[in-house]
Amino acid sequence: VAELITIEQSILRKNADVAAENRAEIERRRAFAVGLVSAPGSGKTSLLERTLVALQGRLRAAVIEGDVQTDRDARRIAALDVPVVQIVTNGTCHLEARMIQGALSRLTAPCDILFIENVGNLVCPASYDLGEHRRVVLTSTPEGDDKPLKYPAMFRTADALIINKVDLLPYVAYDIGQARAFARQVRPGLAVFETSCVSGVGITHWIDWLLVERRVCVTADRRHREKGLRPTSGT
Amino acid sequence: MHEASIMRELLAEAAESAGPAGRVLEVHVDVGLLTGVSPDALAFYFEALQGDTLGAQARLDVRLVPLRAACTGCGARREQSELAWTCGACGGNLVFDNGAELTLRQLVVERG
Repeated sequence: VAELITIEQSILRKNADVAAENRAEIERRRAFAVGLVSAPGSGKTSLLERTLVALQGRLRAAVIEGDVQTDRDARRIAALDVPVVQIVTNGTCHLEARMIQGALSRLTAPCDILFIENVGNLVCPASYDLGEHRRVVLTSTPEGDDKPLKYPAMFRTADALIINKVDLLPYVAYDIGQARAFARQVRPGLAVFETSCVSGVGITHWIDWLLVERRVCVTADRRHREKGLRPTSGT
Repeated sequence: MHEASIMRELLAEAAESAGPAGRVLEVHVDVGLLTGVSPDALAFYFEALQGDTLGAQARLDVRLVPLRAACTGCGARREQSELAWTCGACGGNLVFDNGAELTLRQLVVERG
């Protein structure tokens, strides 16, 4: 006999469960986690290098690096004396919450802020919550100003957008106003920053945002703990 | 390509829900228009991977869930079956009530 069973359950429920555990573990360590996503070559690692230098003496940072192959990015981070754990996905096009769980168990150094750099890909990482508190999407000027419309799923899950490589604006056909408008069409309320990792322009604004968002998060977390509640999870 | 990972989760979930004695005949899935998940790619990976978990008899049905949109310009509300960001009537930006669905909705299971 055939029977119809109603399930109505998220297909990625298990990933979401592990992501919630990751978030709780990160909060237990009194840290704030930021996920970085972009196409390959938009400048995630370069932005991280700039960011880590700017945070020196202010916050203790740590990094989880996701790459399809090689530990080249992790070595760039380690050169700054910042604790880093490399995840090599061996072909998988995105990070999943389970991989972060494994990386967290290998990351023993205490930190106030944890960056998770995803595999370069504007499609696949969108579906997977990793347990980060904020997700930041980067796009760079040579990629074109219509990326938000072409990859809406990714921009929809982001809390902030960094338009990187603005030093190249004289050489590429890129309309920043258009890019901002497209991004806010897809994701109303998105914070937008314009940066160059060559000149350093815009980095201060971005750092200010990080510090404010971290404070908001840590305060909310402390309030929850005082009330004996479980922290609410982010998006 | 993330559809391969999503399909592995789906097949495991379906097999678990059906239980060891259940033979899955149909798998019904809802996909939202804002997920960036391709129904064609899901169908491809279902066929490629179903043998190991559900068996060859199982059939996949993917339903694209209509988007409930509201215009920030003229306030019009409508359902749309394709992704559009601006209002057809006034050109204003649209906001959506849904679109992130990635749901195992129903199974048809045969019990021996």
